[in-house]
Amino acid sequence: MTRNRFFYARLAAVNLRKNGSIYLPYLLSCIFCACMFYIMLFITLNTGLNKMPGADTLSFILRLGATVIGIFSAIILLYTNSFLMKRRKKEIGLYNILGMGKGHIARVMALETVYTALFTFAAGLLSGILLSKLMLMLLLKLLRFPVPFGFEISPVALGVTVVVFAGIFFITLLVNLGRVRLSKPVELLYGGNVGEKEPKTKRLLTVIGFIALGAAYIIANVTENPIQALLLFFIAVLLVILGTYCLFTAGSIALLKALRKNKRYYYQTRHFTAVSGMIYRMKQNAVGLGNICILSTMVLVMLSTTVSLYLGMDDALRNRFPKNIEVTASRVTAGDGALIEETVSRTVADGGYTVSAASSYRYAVHTLSRDGARFGFVGEFVSAATGDATVFFIPLEDYNKLMRASETLGDGEVMVYSPNATFSGDTVQFGGQAYKVKKVLDELDMDDQFTFLVNDAFCFVVPGDAAVEDIYNALTGGGREWRGLNYYYGFDLAAGSEAQLALTAALQAAFEDFRGAGGADLSVYVTSAELNKSMFLDTYGGLFFLGIFLGALFVMATVIIMYYRQISEGYDDQKRFDIMQKVGLSREEIRKTIVSQVLTVFFLPLVTAGIHIAAAFRMITKLLFILNLTNIRLFALCTLGTFAVFAVIYAAVYALTARAYYRIVSTQNTI
Amino acid sequence: MTLLEVKNLKKIYTTRFGANQVTALQNVSFSVEKGEFIAIMGESGSGKTTLLNLLAALDKPTGGDVLLGGVSLLSIGEKQISAFRRDNLGFVFQDFNLLDTFSVRDNIFLPLVLAGKRYDEMEQRLAPIAARLGIADILSKFPYEISGGQKQRAAIARAVITHPQLLLADEPTGALDSKASESLLHLFGELNREGQTILMVTHSVRAASHAGRVLFLRDGEVFHQLYRGAMSTEEMFARISDTLTVIASGGGRTPEGGLDD
Repeated sequence: MTRNRFFYARLAAVNLRKNGSIYLPYLLSCIFCACMFYIMLFITLNTGLNKMPGADTLSFILRLGATVIGIFSAIILLYTNSFLMKRRKKEIGLYNILGMGKGHIARVMALETVYTALFTFAAGLLSGILLSKLMLMLLLKLLRFPVPFGFEISPVALGVTVVVFAGIFFITLLVNLGRVRLSKPVELLYGGNVGEKEPKTKRLLTVIGFIALGAAYIIANVTENPIQALLLFFIAVLLVILGTYCLFTAGSIALLKALRKNKRYYYQTRHFTAVSGMIYRMKQNAVGLGNICILSTMVLVMLSTTVSLYLGMDDALRNRFPKNIEVTASRVTAGDGALIEETVSRTVADGGYTVSAASSYRYAVHTLSRDGARFGFVGEFVSAATGDATVFFIPLEDYNKLMRASETLGDGEVMVYSPNATFSGDTVQFGGQAYKVKKVLDELDMDDQFTFLVNDAFCFVVPGDAAVEDIYNALTGGGREWRGLNYYYGFDLAAGSEAQLALTAALQAAFEDFRGAGGADLSVYVTSAELNKSMFLDTYGGLFFLGIFLGALFVMATVIIMYYRQISEGYDDQKRFDIMQKVGLSREEIRKTIVSQVLTVFFLPLVTAGIHIAAAFRMITKLLFILNLTNIRLFALCTLGTFAVFAVIYAAVYALTARAYYRIVSTQNTI
Repeated sequence: MTLLEVKNLKKIYTTRFGANQVTALQNVSFSVEKGEFIAIMGESGSGKTTLLNLLAALDKPTGGDVLLGGVSLLSIGEKQISAFRRDNLGFVFQDFNLLDTFSVRDNIFLPLVLAGKRYDEMEQRLAPIAARLGIADILSKFPYEISGGQKQRAAIARAVITHPQLLLADEPTGALDSKASESLLHLFGELNREGQTILMVTHSVRAASHAGRVLFLRDGEVFHQLYRGAMSTEEMFARISDTLTVIASGGGRTPEGGLDD
């Protein structure tokens, strides 16, 4: 009995070694996944990070990352394993015929899985432990946070990794056993070469694919409103996925069959073997190619957006905070405003700071529907733009102070400015009330209000506070209580980070229990770019880190899928290669046709991914706009950059796997 | 006229690290006249397949030479050998070797397409051959849709559509049932009577009995040969069986003529 057990153990070990060329990549991807999973868990559980400002966002991002890696590892390992089993069918059939019962085979396979698991845990966790510090340093560097000394191992992360991967291995074993149990030995023995049927043309699927992809591209390129873009983006993504799979599976075959019908084209030496070969290649590989295409697109979108967000962070911060420090309040009268300014000046002077580029004004803002020069009420301003226009109202007094102007307005007269649209017409109508447009203004320094405009914005300068209230009542028909004007006061401070934070804190203190000119409580809110920087850093740095991490994982998945595809194609082509040679095709010609087919199949997903990215570009810029990134040039460069890097990796993988492929194909057997 | 001349052919396989040398063929010489139907018989390991590979220029001999129509296969460069094979040789294999990615028609067209022929011409050539082989109505089908016998007919059509000087057949009946085998051998006979030179490797006595001459290979050497003369297929069958019995019982050899019993 002991000898018997030893026999199975040795058989399992020998099996793994003998199948090295197909087992090694599987083993490597197991190790890679386990390593990444451990590192992500380690960082998520790292106590130091919880002390950082804005740790909530970061920990959410990292937790999400760990979950994605776990799920993705399971998918990729199951996929790879199914390929391995397909290749080993014959071997297992042979064992069965040689007298090993299915129970014995199950035992060998269980032992193989145990070896794989042990090896994965040993190598994956060891490399995970070694690399975890490096990755933590990278993350802290990205977050511009000091790196602490010391080296830690997280027992919890180790435990969770072992449990999760043991689970994954157990599932793969169950799948494999199920497959062996269900098959007859003869089927196993000839498992590799069952005659392929010619794929059918699926017209409906082709049409669906075209429609889905077309719809997605149209959505991506006509959506103007970023908020709508956010909602539609997921629909567009689903449509792209659907369209890609449909076109890869059905569209490609429909196209090739159409080519085959054209006799003049088809019966030419170059096209003959290529077209017919491609029909079968596409049948077997369409889903795999679709996977690669979607994965590549995901990697590219993820990396290009996270990279450009991270690189454009200072830009984004400046967009969000046009002034270093801002003081805001609501229900503010002219007297309140003066009092706030006085308080700020005093605090600034007390601290010995010098501020510049100060601007202050009071305003009202509503979301309105617009029909030419007629505006109607939709609601109080909310960040999500539901109406046609975001409309600001500013009293003349505040305008003149802000712009150092000396305009005058009579009753029923307004001036108008728009940062992103044009206003035409001599009159403007709010609800039932008409106003004369005295002047269209060329500039208005209210940048802070214009940082997040998702629809047309207009700013009307009106004679006074009463006029703002009148217009509000005209718009709402008097059905709502007038809540008064908002107040904004922003200025720059030419000083370092610490001074910025100190002044912000001093101002926050000065406005605690603040009372307005009328003696009533007035809550004043003080914030600064510097104060928000760490939040931006945590979010964008965390996303960037996650982008790199998942990008690496997806690239590995792409590589492994491509490798196994190449190998399995190699085995299929070996026979074909052989026959064609006997019928009179030279080795060189065969090499050429195979190279062209393999190249087409290989680079089709990359090219398609490129097209997807190009089509999605406009929509993604809208989404980035929500995250305060308006630098389209930067995003374009990041996209091109990531695509270039990805293409280089892709080509390198091609070169490597092509070698494995030729090795298989050229082990030629004569008659 | 001599079509094929095999002179002192020798093939030695060396195992990967050069440790072992296996002599697959040695001192094999024979010639095939134009219009002959010749069968080469021998047991597994007698060198049949090696010989066929060498005749088809799929492999290089260690020594000796093969002349087809007076041209030495050794003198043809790597670049021209495929075209030479395409124009002069037709192949029929035991496992048919039809490409499952092509319909029967396209499988037959394959060598013509490779030779760059026009579609009209291909169709013109195919029509009589398809009618002759009785496969006209399965041309649009795919290999996995037809029977073994039909596959082998398609393979023959592919082999003869280029009008090759020599038709090489490797165990053509090996994967067929007796009825399909019989009809295939009749077909070979007819093709041969129409002038097609055929060289067939087989270990089926039934198959060999249809040939005009049978060469017996043993341990890499031509052991004996048998001419049909005026014998009927049944008589030929009997003679071949007798010869095989002698070979199997380890009888001595006489290069030409009868056996020394």
